Amino acid sequence: MDGSNVNIQFSWGKKSLKRAKGGAKMDTLFYDSFTFDNVKYSLYDCVYLFNNGDPEPYIGKIVKIWQQNQAKKVKILWFFLPDEIQNYLSGPVMEKEIFLASGEGIGLADINPLEAIAGKCTVVCISKDERNRQPSSREQAMADYIFYRFFDVGKCTLSEQLPEKIAGLEVNVLLNPKAEQITSCSGREVLGVDRKVLNGPVTAVPLLQSVVKEGESMVAAIPLTQVAVKEENVRKATKNVPKPTENVPKAIESVPKSTGSVPKPTDSVPKPTEIVPKPTENIPKATQKVLPGERPSKRVKSSEDVAVQNMTSDVPDRTSCPGPLELASRQADRSKWFKMPWDLRLRNADQQGTLVYIQNLDIQFGAAEIEELIRDALQLSCIAKPINHPTYDDPNNGKAYAIFRTKSAADTAVSKINSGLVVCGRPLYCSKGLLKVPKPSETLVGHLTICNLKIGQRQREEQKKAVSTSHCSQPNTMEYELALDWMLVREKQEKKFRILQKKHKEERKSFASKIGK
Amino acid sequence: MATSEEDAKKTYADFENKVKRTIYIDHLSPQVTSSVIKAALSQCANVVDVEFIVNYTVPYDIPSAALVELDDEIQAKAALDLMNDFPFIIGGMPRPVRAIRAKPEMFRDRPPRLGIKKEFRWVKQEDATEYEGIKKLRNLVRRQEAENMALIKNQLEEENELAKQQQELLNGNYKKYDMLEKIKQKGSITNLAHHYGISLAEE
Repeated sequence: MDGSNVNIQFSWGKKSLKRAKGGAKMDTLFYDSFTFDNVKYSLYDCVYLFNNGDPEPYIGKIVKIWQQNQAKKVKILWFFLPDEIQNYLSGPVMEKEIFLASGEGIGLADINPLEAIAGKCTVVCISKDERNRQPSSREQAMADYIFYRFFDVGKCTLSEQLPEKIAGLEVNVLLNPKAEQITSCSGREVLGVDRKVLNGPVTAVPLLQSVVKEGESMVAAIPLTQVAVKEENVRKATKNVPKPTENVPKAIESVPKSTGSVPKPTDSVPKPTEIVPKPTENIPKATQKVLPGERPSKRVKSSEDVAVQNMTSDVPDRTSCPGPLELASRQADRSKWFKMPWDLRLRNADQQGTLVYIQNLDIQFGAAEIEELIRDALQLSCIAKPINHPTYDDPNNGKAYAIFRTKSAADTAVSKINSGLVVCGRPLYCSKGLLKVPKPSETLVGHLTICNLKIGQRQREEQKKAVSTSHCSQPNTMEYELALDWMLVREKQEKKFRILQKKHKEERKSFASKIGK
Repeated sequence: MATSEEDAKKTYADFENKVKRTIYIDHLSPQVTSSVIKAALSQCANVVDVEFIVNYTVPYDIPSAALVELDDEIQAKAALDLMNDFPFIIGGMPRPVRAIRAKPEMFRDRPPRLGIKKEFRWVKQEDATEYEGIKKLRNLVRRQEAENMALIKNQLEEENELAKQQQELLNGNYKKYDMLEKIKQKGSITNLAHHYGISLAEE
């Protein structure tokens, strides 16, 4: 994937009516909307932003859009996932519920470069307050998230009462938009967007990199304060807003408020690759104790990492394409995260300590089944994929990688599973971290070359081409005999494997029956 | 809820269909790309998709493998027959590839299967006998895993041996032919023939 040369599409929309120009030098222009990577975002849309190092994006509402000098910025008012404020939560949490930040303090809203936006999402307010237009049940079902409660970031309290103002905005603009203004977007449209978005983030990374370099001081400053206060305010499951971003290509509830000068939440489309946004609520779950000073450099490095990996990853690209089609089943997707390439995610998770390697599963289990099992047994959500190698792995012993949300979740899972989780009579066991697998060598063992051959330039090329042609070996060549040798060896191998696997199966059966007694 | 179940059934039925049409090829060279496979199989089947299997679990240098999705089941059978009757060589000689039918568990991104029992239970340390039993079972499984790995290693070593043998054989043959060629070119063969009184006339 050649990410470095493509530029993400961008164009400004309407200029803000409320504030045309601003800033000390009158060089700041405010806008009401913009199109980024062929997705239109307006003030008060709900969006996803990606934080480097986190598998999950954050959800926020665009409350201001502007351009100052060459930099495009958005101010984002944050939503919190139940996980992030679980220490302050009591009582039941609704499905798809998130909480709007309110009050004053760090964690309420942040300024980010516009390029940090990863997509739109729908957030519907179901508060019974009279100022809020009640959503239809269809809207509510189709929305990505719902909210009716507010989390005061200063007092760290939850409330159902609508505050008068949040971040200097009238609360009206933050509630549901008028009915006529809801546009539904066809699945196809979103699909189209998604594919472009697929290419988008890769290019966003180099973009962001340059932004980082220029605005490094600014960026550094924000996480500094953010991290400092965060660590005081929030324990454990942080206020960081890595949020799952399943975008539903259903009715996009554009929330253009009458004043329309605040960026709105918009339906975001899942991005397969990771963007390096600079939301300031950026404490990667695993490293909450990271010193503020380290953070910007970490981000820049990973962004480079991401760029390189994105350009060289081939298989992950394919596996991430099903993104838009999977959107339809939100129920199952609830715990699925952004469609980042699986291999990239594995590496990240390993770095963060959230990767667990589970063994002795039933080989029939697919990804969804494993995730469900973990959810039922441990009440933890994760992404899992079975990873057996069809040729060599023991079919009695199913293996999978599971990525949890936090390091502590992964640790708990490991200790719990190892202590005695038995699934259909099979005790599971697991360990943390990535298995060491050697890189495949250049040529296959058994592909012979004729050495000492003086080959001319043209002949060498021909030989190269010859390597990539394939054929059935004919009985009159020497090659045929050699090939037969290999087939013989293979047959023997297969037999050996079969015997071993049968033996294993018998052992297990007899063991199980012995225990049963 | 009914629709989602139906959807799930349908997805799984589609998946099963796909499995039927797919063949699993291994003993591939790491240099082989999807276009090579497409070209290779074009004589008997149209390739829809190629997905390479990434090795996550085997700590040795193993050959590549791929799941190749074809147009339909008939083509899949034709391809399998072709590759099993004759040594089919893709990209490099003389080690042939192996092809077998794909199975659902080979696919990494498979849809959930209905009706799979997922019952689980916790065995606490307090249930002494059961706990001991489970521990023993787990050890057994670990041992089996180690045995499996050992077998794999053993086989890879065998393959290496065979490859070395064949390479030597090939080199020997090559030298022989080379020598014959040189002699012929230089004409010393005529001298030798003369010396031994053998006529070189071709029959």
